[in-house]
Amino acid sequence: MILRTERISKHFEALRAVDQVDFTLKQGQLKSIIGPNGAGKTTLFNLIAGIYRATSGKVFYKDRDITRVPLYATSRLGITKTYQITHIFPSLTVFENVRISAQCRRTSFNFWRTAHSLSAVNERVLDILEQVELLEKRNWLASTLSHGERRYLEIGIALATEPEVLLLDEPTAGMSCAETNLCAELIQKLNKSLNLSIVLVEHDMTVVMAISDEILVLNEGRTLAQGTPREVSDNEEVQRVYLGEDNACLA
Amino acid sequence: MDSITKQEMLKDVEPRPRSTIVWATAVALILLPLVISTPLATEILVWSIFGLGFNLLLGYTGVLSFGHAAYFGLGAYTAGLTLRYWHVGLWTSLAMGIAAPMILACFIGLVAIRRRGVYFAMISLAFGQMLYFLALSPLKDITRGEDGLTHIPSVNLFFIALEKPRNLYYFILAITVLMLYMTWRILQSPFGRLLQAFRENEERAKACGYNTTLVKFFSLVLSACYGGLAGSLNTLYLGYVPLTTLFWLTSGTIVMMTVLGGKGTFLGPLVGVAVFLFLQNTISLFTPRWELFVGAIFVMIILLFPGGIMGTIQEKYLNRKMIRLQRKAATG
Repeated sequence: MILRTERISKHFEALRAVDQVDFTLKQGQLKSIIGPNGAGKTTLFNLIAGIYRATSGKVFYKDRDITRVPLYATSRLGITKTYQITHIFPSLTVFENVRISAQCRRTSFNFWRTAHSLSAVNERVLDILEQVELLEKRNWLASTLSHGERRYLEIGIALATEPEVLLLDEPTAGMSCAETNLCAELIQKLNKSLNLSIVLVEHDMTVVMAISDEILVLNEGRTLAQGTPREVSDNEEVQRVYLGEDNACLA
Repeated sequence: MDSITKQEMLKDVEPRPRSTIVWATAVALILLPLVISTPLATEILVWSIFGLGFNLLLGYTGVLSFGHAAYFGLGAYTAGLTLRYWHVGLWTSLAMGIAAPMILACFIGLVAIRRRGVYFAMISLAFGQMLYFLALSPLKDITRGEDGLTHIPSVNLFFIALEKPRNLYYFILAITVLMLYMTWRILQSPFGRLLQAFRENEERAKACGYNTTLVKFFSLVLSACYGGLAGSLNTLYLGYVPLTTLFWLTSGTIVMMTVLGGKGTFLGPLVGVAVFLFLQNTISLFTPRWELFVGAIFVMIILLFPGGIMGTIQEKYLNRKMIRLQRKAATG
């Protein structure tokens, strides 16, 4: 078990955004979290990543308690997240965006060495840009990229931190169907070829069903169901909650 | 990808200083005292150093300090006081004039660093004004209060008398060049990139694994180092320390100069300082109400150059570069 939460809860005053959720992720697994809006998916992410402090419960990463570890430190431990709303460095170049992330583990408070001289870091940045298909656009300002490309860039930035667990918060949000399918392929590729453990929050059910090893269904902050895609889609309660949702991309 | 292809690709990702710009700046600075009066030229250099440091904080880190007079003034007073009372040499007074503001910045940093935006600006303003009033009255016996600190002995660089304006100018020019080089190195370093990442998106920088509170702290201390150096040099240049070096107007002036030149651009502070001081000096020859005219000119400059003079030029340049890259991508 690489990542596990134990009865984790986050209450905002009277609202129980996440309520006693037990979540587990095995090494190399691709697990999706689904649920209607407001089910607590992003809150659960933020609890794991160290953005929110849990009201109660615990988070373990490789059997180490990381419940109170702040965001920057969880990233250094190997858990990196992407955001639902794109978080990049808009007025820097694509290359620089990824490099800033890649240099973090090597050297961050170095005042004198030029960033250019860190050739191992720079070469790794090129590899990552190739993976997320932005190599040709390395000198573009991030702000000039299309929406889909920015989402890819954000995944690239996350990859550059050398994560073992990648938390992807609706990576395909706002993408066209064609882009969504490509992105799903990319996620699967990262999972299989780099052996990354991935947690995915995704609203597109066809994508979720196609690429997940396991699915956790949340509703109103509580676990509704958990299991393989087949088990979850056969679950009557899940069907009731999801009835009428439209998901057309992979069809 | 093999290593040779990579090296080839890495060649075009680095921003290199254009040699024409470097040489043009060097020539302009060397010839400056021949074109305008030497004291004015010296003042431009002193404030440029101040501006370089302020720009690191405001332009590159995106943190507005509205009390930077505290570092400038503390540097000025420390250099002045050590020269006057302790009769130290040139280098010692400069070193102390740099160290004291940096220590102050550590303190202010510890207290205020978690505040952001306008709250940080207000706290820094409060600290600045506190120092001003300290120098004005409780410490009047040593700072000479409103009269400013006078009777500062002149200093020599080895055997060169820095009393002579030209000598002082070229001495400060050497320091300015050093600071320009240092700033360039800092901006190209991993830390410099981190400053910009912080400015662009603090949350993302955290998610990349950076302790962003420390970033702001170091940036503030570094900026205070420049402020202190500029303040100390100002003392050498004026031969006395006016109380106004600590006044909030000084803080306001450096904000205005930096924004005018273009915050977040390398040469912005130099251009902003030069334009500001030149206008101030020229117009005040004709009218005591020079602020009125200078203000009107600023409004016009900012309307023409919304990102500051160098900021707007850089933006235009980048836009053209992006269009070129997009065309290349479309055809290739």
